[in-house]
Amino acid sequence: MDYVHLRRQAASLRKGLFDQGYLDEQFYQLEDLQDDASPNFVEEVVTLFFRDSTRLMANIDQALDKCVKDFNKLDVYMQQLKGSCTSIGASRMKTECTAFRECCRDENIEGSHSLSILNLCMRSFQKIKREHSVLRQKLESYFQLLRQAGPVECATRPNK
Amino acid sequence: MASSQVVKVLIVDDDNFTRRIYKTMLFRFCFEITEVEDGKNAIQQFVDGNEYDLVLMDKHMPNMDGVEATRTLRGMGIPVKIVAITDDASSKDTFMDAGANKFLLKPLTFSMLTDILKSFNFLN
Repeated sequence: MDYVHLRRQAASLRKGLFDQGYLDEQFYQLEDLQDDASPNFVEEVVTLFFRDSTRLMANIDQALDKCVKDFNKLDVYMQQLKGSCTSIGASRMKTECTAFRECCRDENIEGSHSLSILNLCMRSFQKIKREHSVLRQKLESYFQLLRQAGPVECATRPNK
Repeated sequence: MASSQVVKVLIVDDDNFTRRIYKTMLFRFCFEITEVEDGKNAIQQFVDGNEYDLVLMDKHMPNMDGVEATRTLRGMGIPVKIVAITDDASSKDTFMDAGANKFLLKPLTFSMLTDILKSFNFLN
């Protein structure tokens, strides 16, 4: 197996994640924490993030499905999700979470369950789900490539 | 300091993977780490007689949020160093009024953590 090629593919995929804005500086922080004592730290943390964020998004889905929508509760869920995105460096997801929270605030100001604002919230959440799905696929591919490529002999950090 | 020489840290955050990140950072200093998911469990740690040198306190948590937990700890006369770590910038004044020692905005980086630990003289 061509391990050099696999590592190059992984590096390219990783670079793409930053160049396309899926990930930000915070992800470097996580990579910096990975060492011999925690050799799979980044993948573990990413796995935890997707597990927790999937659960949170299911809660948001349920809350949006209700006839009487509790926008304060939705805002709390979304704040949690945004916090998680911030901690892992999921930049595009974080942006969409901010947009959703602005919808919730607009709804609270309107106070009349305006249809246009509701639609905005729903659309905003669909965007979050899409970003979540794409990021998950890309990171899963990245970690799969890393596993196939095996450990790197020299501990050199890939170029930012 | 808590009775033993090892620095004891209590992580209070409802987010599983945030706690994992903090733990990994703190392990580098060979600290003793306990983690709980909300303010209520944080209070219980002290009620049970546990001692800590440092608390890393999130704000938004179920059962009891970080501000209330901080206020309660101070009301109990617990002098532990409390560092509020949240992405809610608007909560700074509330946290400091409640008795937090420091306020940091998420995401916590390793250098931010190191600076805090140095400021509290937890690093030799």
